[in-house]
Amino acid sequence: MNEHRGPWKNRLEWFAAIVMIAMAVGCSKPQTTEEGAGALPPVKKIPAGSQFSGFLKDYSALKPNPNIEGEMLTYVSADAKKNLRSYFAIVVDPIEVYVATNADEKQVNDDRRKALTNYFQHALTNAVSDAFPMVDKPGPLTLRLRTAIVGVDVGGQNGALNIGKVGVEMELVDSETGERIAAAVDRASLGAGAEVGDVNLSRDEKAAAARDAFDEWASRLRAFLDSAHELKGEDLDRADKSYKPY
Amino acid sequence: MRKLLVFMCALALCCGSSVAAEDKDKKADKISTFYAYVDADVCARLMLGPITQARIDCSKKAYKQGSNIVIVRLDDNMVFSVNKVKLVKDYLGGLGKVTGEAKSKSGEMKLESFMPEQMSDIPADAPAQRLLDVRTYKAKSTDGLFEKIRHELAMMAYITTFDFISFTMIGDDVILTGWTVRDTNRDDAYHRVKRIEGVKSVTNNIEILPLGNQDMQIRASTRLVLEQQLGRYFWSNGSDIKIVVKNGNIILLGAVATKEDSDIATIKANSVSMAFSVINLLRVEPPPAKNKG
Repeated sequence: MNEHRGPWKNRLEWFAAIVMIAMAVGCSKPQTTEEGAGALPPVKKIPAGSQFSGFLKDYSALKPNPNIEGEMLTYVSADAKKNLRSYFAIVVDPIEVYVATNADEKQVNDDRRKALTNYFQHALTNAVSDAFPMVDKPGPLTLRLRTAIVGVDVGGQNGALNIGKVGVEMELVDSETGERIAAAVDRASLGAGAEVGDVNLSRDEKAAAARDAFDEWASRLRAFLDSAHELKGEDLDRADKSYKPY
Repeated sequence: MRKLLVFMCALALCCGSSVAAEDKDKKADKISTFYAYVDADVCARLMLGPITQARIDCSKKAYKQGSNIVIVRLDDNMVFSVNKVKLVKDYLGGLGKVTGEAKSKSGEMKLESFMPEQMSDIPADAPAQRLLDVRTYKAKSTDGLFEKIRHELAMMAYITTFDFISFTMIGDDVILTGWTVRDTNRDDAYHRVKRIEGVKSVTNNIEILPLGNQDMQIRASTRLVLEQQLGRYFWSNGSDIKIVVKNGNIILLGAVATKEDSDIATIKANSVSMAFSVINLLRVEPPPAKNKG
């Protein structure tokens, strides 16, 4: 039997739907800038025969860092006016993904990629935000953190992202001029089986290795920043002599 | 339709209970009553000493120059910004009994009442008396504790031109004061001082500065104009002159060699557009004379 749908019933349903949406929005946590970053940057590919992805403009100045364990290559500007200590806030760019040279970038599932990059962005924010407060737009005294996950492969089970041989490339640039202030390239072999097959990276068992790696990279970035901030030599003496409490 | 309404009710209950839980947490900080000194933000953060005439003068002068009004809990020197400035404004530089919701973690207090008091009204055995008694102050300890604390704070890696952290000692109790743009500095300073042998307690009055766009612009512009003429006080990894910017107001701290340099700093900082006021607290310290031969 066809039920007559009166205007009041229609309105009630619309009202119910609007109230539900409003409540859902009201109950949810306020969105942080990184969560609301909007459209995903396009997936790129590591050029054939290249050691690096091309995400950084220049790799020539990167050197092994004796203060950080592992194979991290770093660069820090030694310019007296524009170095890491000249800035204290950070705006974080959406993380880019570079697939391995022989991978098909069209096969990369957007939701899984988003899960991967969101997790890493969250880890980075957690690791550095107490030392470099996050701001939502470029400005004076503010660095822009550009990050790429490189070497992602496609073809795990059900199109899972294989991240067994990924690395990260990071760059801190002046948020107003784009001038490079610091950079780091880090690699790790997570081994076979490390993959992102679920959009919920935090709960995906197979992604445990990936989570550990991203947390580790984030903490290594912090260690790099800490070591770059350490006062040395004449600066140490001057800071000590200069400081007098009121 | 009925199912939809049931689902809505469930959602509303879930949402309502989480909001109620948050409210409960917020009210965890209980209403308290304590003796307090009504101070200007600048003087309270720098802890110029106990409540002497010089301190009272500082409070009044700094307020006129644009500093905010705060209250200092006499029991432990904790500084609180207050929501109802009107309640305490007329008692600047004076003592009183305040009642309200004091949040030690954020350094904020929701004032409910303020009752002016005289120094003599505070019972002799009350903890609040400690701050009023100059004899309990130890500006520089004889056992090297002061120097140990000073050195620890000087070595903090993330201190910039835009942070200034100071401290005062009352016996072996340390009060950390000042301003920073980084959370980590507030915590780092506390933990560094706390673990020094001989320190009994640490009160952390270091304020985290807002990072609004206007304040960021003022910070960068002030450093730029000061570097132009007073470049010798700035080096690649730090500076002798500290620039504290809060809500459009500039406070200059640290030391310069001459009165002329101090005056230049004031003029230059006043030339920064968007800045509301400049409070110059630079110390003039001529460099030690070099021994001849």
